[in-house]
Amino acid sequence: MAVCFRCHRTAPSSVDHYRTLARKNKVWPASVPSLLAGHEAIRKWGFQMKSSNGYPLNVVSSQKEEPYIVHSKAKEDQIDSTVSITVVGASGDLAKKKIFPALFALFYEDCLPKHFTVFGYARTQLTDEELRNMIGKTLTCRIDKRENCGDKMEQFLQRCFYHSGQYSSEENFLELDRKLKDKEVGKSANRLFYLSIPPNIFVDVVRCASRTASSTTGWTRVIVEKPFGRDSQSSGDLTRSLKQHLTEDQIFRIDHYLGKELVENLSVLRFSNLVFEPLWSRKFIRNVQLIFSEDFGTEGRGGYFDNYGIIRDIMQNHLVQILALFAMETPVSLDAEDIRNEKVKVLRSMRTLQLDDVVVGQYKGHTRGGRSLPAYIDDPTVPKGSLTPTFAAAALFIDNARWDGVPFLMKAGKALNTRRAEIRVQFRHVPGNLYKRNFGTDLDKATNELVIRVQPDEAIYLKINNKIPGLSMRLDSSNLNLLYASRYPREIPDAYERLLLDAIEGERRLFIRSDELDAAWELFTPVLKELEDKRIAPELYPYGSRGPVGAHYLAAKYNVRWGDLSSQYS
Amino acid sequence: MPLPLSSAVSLPRKTLDSSLSLALSLFAGGGEMALSVAKCPSSSAAARLAPDHSPLRWSTLLRPFPRTVLARSVAVPSSKNWNLGVACKQEVGTVAASSPKEAPSKNVEIGGLLGLSSEEYRDVIGPNSSEREPTVSITVVGASGDLAKKKIFPALFALYYEDCLPKHFTIFGYARSKMTDAELRTMVSKTLTCRIDKRENCNEKMEQFLQRCFYHSGQYESEENFADLDKELKEHEGGRLSNRLFYLSIPPNIFIDVVKSASKSASSKNGWTRVIVEKPFGRDSESSAALTRGLKQYLDEDQIFRIDHYLGKELVENLSILRFSNLVFEPLWSRQYIRNVQLIFSEDFGTEGRGGYFDNYGIIRDIMQNHLLQILALFAMETPVSLDAEDIRNEKVKVLRSMKPLQLENVAIGQYRSHTKGGVAYPGYTDDKTVPKGSLTPTFAAAALFIDNARWDGVPFLMKAGKALETRRTEIRVQFRHVPGNLYKRSFGTDLDRATNELVIRVQPDEAIYLKINNKIPGLGMRLDRSNLNLLYASRYSKEIPDAYERLLLDAIEGERRLFIRSDELDAAWELFTPLLKELEEKKIAPELYPYGSCGPAGAHYLAANYNVRWGDTASDA
Repeated sequence: MAVCFRCHRTAPSSVDHYRTLARKNKVWPASVPSLLAGHEAIRKWGFQMKSSNGYPLNVVSSQKEEPYIVHSKAKEDQIDSTVSITVVGASGDLAKKKIFPALFALFYEDCLPKHFTVFGYARTQLTDEELRNMIGKTLTCRIDKRENCGDKMEQFLQRCFYHSGQYSSEENFLELDRKLKDKEVGKSANRLFYLSIPPNIFVDVVRCASRTASSTTGWTRVIVEKPFGRDSQSSGDLTRSLKQHLTEDQIFRIDHYLGKELVENLSVLRFSNLVFEPLWSRKFIRNVQLIFSEDFGTEGRGGYFDNYGIIRDIMQNHLVQILALFAMETPVSLDAEDIRNEKVKVLRSMRTLQLDDVVVGQYKGHTRGGRSLPAYIDDPTVPKGSLTPTFAAAALFIDNARWDGVPFLMKAGKALNTRRAEIRVQFRHVPGNLYKRNFGTDLDKATNELVIRVQPDEAIYLKINNKIPGLSMRLDSSNLNLLYASRYPREIPDAYERLLLDAIEGERRLFIRSDELDAAWELFTPVLKELEDKRIAPELYPYGSRGPVGAHYLAAKYNVRWGDLSSQYS
Repeated sequence: MPLPLSSAVSLPRKTLDSSLSLALSLFAGGGEMALSVAKCPSSSAAARLAPDHSPLRWSTLLRPFPRTVLARSVAVPSSKNWNLGVACKQEVGTVAASSPKEAPSKNVEIGGLLGLSSEEYRDVIGPNSSEREPTVSITVVGASGDLAKKKIFPALFALYYEDCLPKHFTIFGYARSKMTDAELRTMVSKTLTCRIDKRENCNEKMEQFLQRCFYHSGQYESEENFADLDKELKEHEGGRLSNRLFYLSIPPNIFIDVVKSASKSASSKNGWTRVIVEKPFGRDSESSAALTRGLKQYLDEDQIFRIDHYLGKELVENLSILRFSNLVFEPLWSRQYIRNVQLIFSEDFGTEGRGGYFDNYGIIRDIMQNHLLQILALFAMETPVSLDAEDIRNEKVKVLRSMKPLQLENVAIGQYRSHTKGGVAYPGYTDDKTVPKGSLTPTFAAAALFIDNARWDGVPFLMKAGKALETRRTEIRVQFRHVPGNLYKRSFGTDLDRATNELVIRVQPDEAIYLKINNKIPGLGMRLDRSNLNLLYASRYSKEIPDAYERLLLDAIEGERRLFIRSDELDAAWELFTPLLKELEEKKIAPELYPYGSCGPAGAHYLAANYNVRWGDTASDA
């Protein structure tokens, strides 16, 4: 099958693409069966059917063939529609490191609409050329196919422009609007604003942009990224303010962990394989562990972090989102609303986190191999005597029929001994285990464990007990392995690519709805308040260690061992 | 207080070999498990011993002595469980506590004792110990045959090399040909090899082993000749408690003769006498029953060890472990989740001039009725009460007795024909000179079997066995059902059958276990593929996997009957196949011809399609 014009996303199975289109529009096109037949023909005999407008049939929807699709996504791609992506805060770190490279990667993979414009917006005075120079430095091509890399970069940069302006000035945004219109030249214009700015100016920008730079002919969407407030109250305020200027439909709250390959795969693993779903409940699962660790500290950038702490920075969003995805009931369909409905149900079934189910820590200075590693409070951007946790472990519970009594343990920390994000599912003991005596005294070591390693070195493996080959009857724990690097030669796209593309396509599955956000804050707000009111001192742990011992005691309280610290870790 | 302890112990997994961690648990007062370290292989023996000995005593013994010494010395106090004294070097060597040089030197010492007569030996060892220490004599009847040369003697040597044989043992070859001991040794020595992964002392060990091999020439039906053998055995046994194992590596028509002679005139008077027999166990229910009756005139069921060497294969043994020691498999092990089970055996060569025996039996008797059916029973049985032989075999018999007798329409048979590929002409089955012209004997068969019990009702168990196919392979494939209400249905295209999970246990070659799962192909799209959760033995386990015969011989010596076939199992297996075999022969049903080196006759596919099954081994992503 030829590489699809639109995007690799749908290339190999254009039938799916059609079905997706049909589904999104809640219409089932009568022509799908015939298209299917055509697709079969392509697969079997290798020729490609062309539609009347000259594009491959599987590429652009022709309205003649799909009369029932009214607001087809594909229609947006047609000659008369364009998308303008404005990165607000274009000179910031996130923009340089993630957003522009992701946009280029999408362009490089032919995933952006044919007509698009990228605008940088910030207060700094920059020319278009200067912006291009700045961006040019961070663009890279996929390692596995470098052809035309230079050409493609040049083409991409030619579509990047810059507009300097204040974040709270409606006039400046009006000027932007004029420039955008110039580029859009009368096409149906869709506009995406990426707010890569501090949260305190979210509302200003949204107000100005929506009033003076909204599209009058197409959609206008705004991507915002955490922090979404500091607690239920401030998050609620932010949502209300945003909604003064935008409808919920227009707000795309990014949690970039949801864009990670293995987090996306979680639902596939569970719902498209018969062998996992029957095990997915309290009957078979003993505990679930969500582990995030970084092997570096704030490194001179603690100013933002100190105001939030690890619980707000990692747990309340990334880990809770993964938890909800892991634990949800089967959704009615894969549509965004169906999935998010199920996630909200999980969050709302959860017990509010209690202080005695939380352990907090903060890294201290440590000298290792002659090198001295700084403590959190040694960071000049961190206030002296800060009690902000750089490590936290928590035990959460979902009070529903599926998960009652199963501890969900979370652990997140900076300046630990490894960099790692993973999901660990520890299964129960085998009831009446015939091989009990082959395991020695520690039956806990003999339970099955499913590990989904989100990063680095993406992998899925299932630990099983196996007989060590030989004449004796000795058992060990071996892995049924799927290492992505050895199975899939292609580079895994960055989470931002997926999320940007989804926002452009209006796919909301991986974005957080406001009720999800509220529910997530409700879980954590009381304990956060209590930690701060009582000024609870974090347990200190050395930079580069495995974190505070308190995490072990918390786990032991629920008869759990952290899987990442077991001797069998591999 | 589990936390500090576990973190202390848990650190160096890579360096801490599991047997050392077992040793640690022994020091820590851990119980039964540690025992299996000190003895050779076989959990059951460990189990039998477990209650008799307190771990505490063992740990005190453990400290001052190197492990080999320990293993041998602990044998002394226990006369009943003599096999306790057998320590496998493979395990001993890995224990850090024993210096690596000590074990070989100890072995040399023992080897040096060999030259001594039994009297002298007794003097060295001390008067009491020799009476307590039993000896085992293994007589290979049919010693000049192919199986003996290729499998039995090498397996015995491997056991010796791994220190798995009892301290005192003697091996006798028995056959009609005239041979001296030296000639036998020369013959045997040609097929001995050491484990690839540890070659130290290989030649020394071989020499020591060969010194224990003797030959006795005699007729198979002569009680006198066996009485002569008995005399020679007694000489070597030197008055010890003597156990005798006879391996009948001879054609089935002389089984009874040998058993009669051996049991009457060469049975052990003060220890056990066991007889290993290998297929064919008759041609059908009647002849099999007749054989059983014949054997039982001279032997108890307890003494008969019917080998099915497939049960000794590493991955067949592992089947029960996979299923019963992992939580994640047993819940799936029923008609609710399993759509079909496939048992596949294929060889990539034909009879190659040795079709005489085969033609009288055919592939169904040769492979299906025994090997594949045994695997099936092991796969499908209910959880046994324990791992004891009788408990496991009780469950296997239940499976066999719950099965529907095989119907003719559920069988497809084939025979390979000649084929020229790449300029090489491969012969047809009937081109083999040892095969009668016009033979209708199937060299390929596929069958659909059903177990009419609550767990398996309606689940087809498909078997396929053939010679002269394109690959050499034995595997078990478990195809799971479709995901009900699959959310990702539209990502699979039109062929949902390709999207089901499949568990594959590859018995040979390249032992592996893998589970096919649907996975998202990394990238921006939502495309799914089937990927494997893999466990490849070659990459996980560096040690060579022992041959099935080693395990089975060791089990026979230890009296572990789990992997041997009980007579009621055999009867039930024949009952399943006998009517069909009769019908095939009476109706002279012609096998479908398939080219040498192909993937077999098309009939196998139609048979599978009847039950809505696709053979997993022929899938593009097998």
